[in-house]
Amino acid sequence: MLRSALIALLFAFAAPAAEETAPIRFEEIAAKAGLRFELHNGEAGGFHQIELTLGGVAAFDFNNDGCTDIFFTNGAAVPSLRKTGPGFSNRLFRNNCNLTFTDVTAEAGLAGEGYAMAVATADFDNDGLVDLFVAGVKGNTLYRNLGKGRFADLTAKAGLANPAPKWAVSAGWFDYDNDGWLDLFVANYVEWDGAKEPRCGTPERQYYCHPDAYRGLPNQLFHNNHDGTFTDVSAGSGIGSHIGKGMGVSFADMDGDGFTDVFIANDSVRGLLFRNQGNGRFEEIGLEAGVALRDDGHAIAGMGADFRDLDNDGKPDLLVSGILNDSFLLFHNLGGRRGFEDYAQRTGLFMSTRQLTGWSLGMYDFDNDGWKDLFFALAHLMQLDRYLGRESILPNRVYRNLQGKRLEDVSAGAGAAFQAAAAHRGAAFADFDNDGRVDVVVSAANSPAKLFHNTTGGKGHWLGIRLRGVRANRQGIGATVHIHLADGRDLYNHMTTSVGYASSSEAVVRFGLGSTDQAASVTIQWPGGRIQKLANVAADQLIEITEGTNQ
Amino acid sequence: MTPWKRCLAIAFAASALAAESPGKAVYERANRHFVAKQFNESLAAVEEALLLDAKLVPALTLKAKLAMAANRYDLASEALERALAVDPKAAYAQFLYGMAAYMNNEMKEALSRFRRARELAPKDPRAALYLALTTESVGAPSDALALYQEAVRLERATGKPSADTLLPGARLLLLLDRIDESEDWLRQAVKLAPNLRDAHFDLARLLLKKANPAEAAAEGERALTLSDGVITDSAIHYLLLRAWQQAGSPERAAVHAATLRALESAKR
Repeated sequence: MLRSALIALLFAFAAPAAEETAPIRFEEIAAKAGLRFELHNGEAGGFHQIELTLGGVAAFDFNNDGCTDIFFTNGAAVPSLRKTGPGFSNRLFRNNCNLTFTDVTAEAGLAGEGYAMAVATADFDNDGLVDLFVAGVKGNTLYRNLGKGRFADLTAKAGLANPAPKWAVSAGWFDYDNDGWLDLFVANYVEWDGAKEPRCGTPERQYYCHPDAYRGLPNQLFHNNHDGTFTDVSAGSGIGSHIGKGMGVSFADMDGDGFTDVFIANDSVRGLLFRNQGNGRFEEIGLEAGVALRDDGHAIAGMGADFRDLDNDGKPDLLVSGILNDSFLLFHNLGGRRGFEDYAQRTGLFMSTRQLTGWSLGMYDFDNDGWKDLFFALAHLMQLDRYLGRESILPNRVYRNLQGKRLEDVSAGAGAAFQAAAAHRGAAFADFDNDGRVDVVVSAANSPAKLFHNTTGGKGHWLGIRLRGVRANRQGIGATVHIHLADGRDLYNHMTTSVGYASSSEAVVRFGLGSTDQAASVTIQWPGGRIQKLANVAADQLIEITEGTNQ
Repeated sequence: MTPWKRCLAIAFAASALAAESPGKAVYERANRHFVAKQFNESLAAVEEALLLDAKLVPALTLKAKLAMAANRYDLASEALERALAVDPKAAYAQFLYGMAAYMNNEMKEALSRFRRARELAPKDPRAALYLALTTESVGAPSDALALYQEAVRLERATGKPSADTLLPGARLLLLLDRIDESEDWLRQAVKLAPNLRDAHFDLARLLLKKANPAEAAAEGERALTLSDGVITDSAIHYLLLRAWQQAGSPERAAVHAATLRALESAKR
């Protein structure tokens, strides 16, 4: 008995102690960094639904200089959907590698046309240059990165010009059939015609209609034909059989079968979870998996989504933002085909977010303590001020992950500028100054974009991994990465650019390591199943791992 | 009890408030039509009553209720302002004003009106209940819970406790992880209203959280057989799908999943 107690005590001492971490802090530096962008929704008193939902942002390295650049989508005049002036231009900002940015939109040819909503970035043609897909109202555009800072509109040639264009709110890239080429998922929202906009409220007191006033749409899946063209496989894959009101799209291999699955957050109708059956077909299992609705059966106004392992158990969990009095949802993955359980209430997130309206979001380890924290871009729906008795604009929020068990709102300590309210929308995550701390760029309707430079102190070590697929797609999108630390901890993440709402984040798999300055092992499972393992990888660096080699 | 059922119930009592007035008889006719859900006839009669006596407070509150039934909260507020100008201490008019604001998502206004209604009629459980609901929806759960407890206490003092007053508080207790207290309130609600699906549904949710899926499934199946309440069939099927999964009956879970999908298709 005594012997057992002593052994237990020995193991207790051997277990890693909870580490002291510094408060998560951000400095807002957009103006100082020359990142001057205002998102314009074109509202002119017509209460057009499209004015509410725009604002996608991308963080991606278009010129391969190792410094992450920023692309903003933008609106247009309503109801013409024309970009009638420079204020409506989409914008590309080149990172000058000193935390300043230069507007290179004109040279890049990315000003765009139409009412843009979302952006999805990936190297779809495996040429080593990251391309752009811009989704919007009645028109999407695929831009191929030509190199030397130039992009070309490839939409029609790629077979993506839709004769019956829809309203897409999000899009994302993933390799659903593990053939080494990235396929395109487009999340469509509702049927919309500016000339037939429903009117809600009274003539004296009109307001934006509830999404119930519009018919939902099916999503679309386009298979990459390896030659710069795509085939619409929405029908054959089963994706197109399900009607929703798609907003956020996120990807993960939720059941560990080697095929990437898809979650769609829908607005006021239930969420859709597409299980990839590995044969080109998807089965919609949102209800069975327990992620379709809130615990009480209510369909929240789902907005952003991220599909990552929050509690370091190796299984991706699911985070979804909603609107006022919805509460944000967090589902804990039980593994295999066992589905998910509600985790928002247990972690404190449910009650804490009940008074919030969230758009984009992300699960990133902002303090590098080994646990992914949460960031939410917030704002109530416009013109709710008079109904709520308070302003619809909100400050953003950041939650610290307390060892995967509780989520603590640490926004109040995140810096003075972090408390500033705005009509926040899109958010993209990247380490813009390569200091190992994840920064956030956020768009805001009819006000300047914000760049939250992560200035969190402390001694948290980190590791960034850029993947280079050979048999797999060039960026290794869909690869899962497992880090084992000498103190016994295991950390998990996977490669995706599809994070949050309408937005696209850097193609780097990031880990906070806490006080440990080395990863004992790094194991990558590439799309297609190849396993690659590296030993004793030093911390505090961004490494590139090429599939099949130890470099 | 839904807000509108409450209004109908209160309508009977409101007639007593109409003191002798040239419009009293016509108002009483309007009220009878309202109780019978003959809203057009009720509206015509209430307008007639107000022509006879523009300051007849019960007629003004009835007009407000009719406006609320038509989702015209602006007109309801207008009628209630007139009523309160005549009698600033009309607790029921203050309460209704709060309800109009609450239904219209004007929470700041609703809070102030319900607070005033509570001051004017401190023993009225309705004002406490709706102040609790409003307080909860503006993000003050601790204050809301105290008000739910007060509403339950006041209602018990009348000797007529109701499941509808217990349920919102029980739901909040569940969200606050005060499982045992929530269960106590829910079991009281089920006892008070055995044919109310909402009570069985919420009890089933609690039982599922307590890792008692078999009993949760039984309560959920019971809820599905009942029609009284506002919880939708879809919500109950979703609960039953998870309860049967966890109870180790995938076939029964699959039946509820299929029914849910059929309901979704029909809705489209």
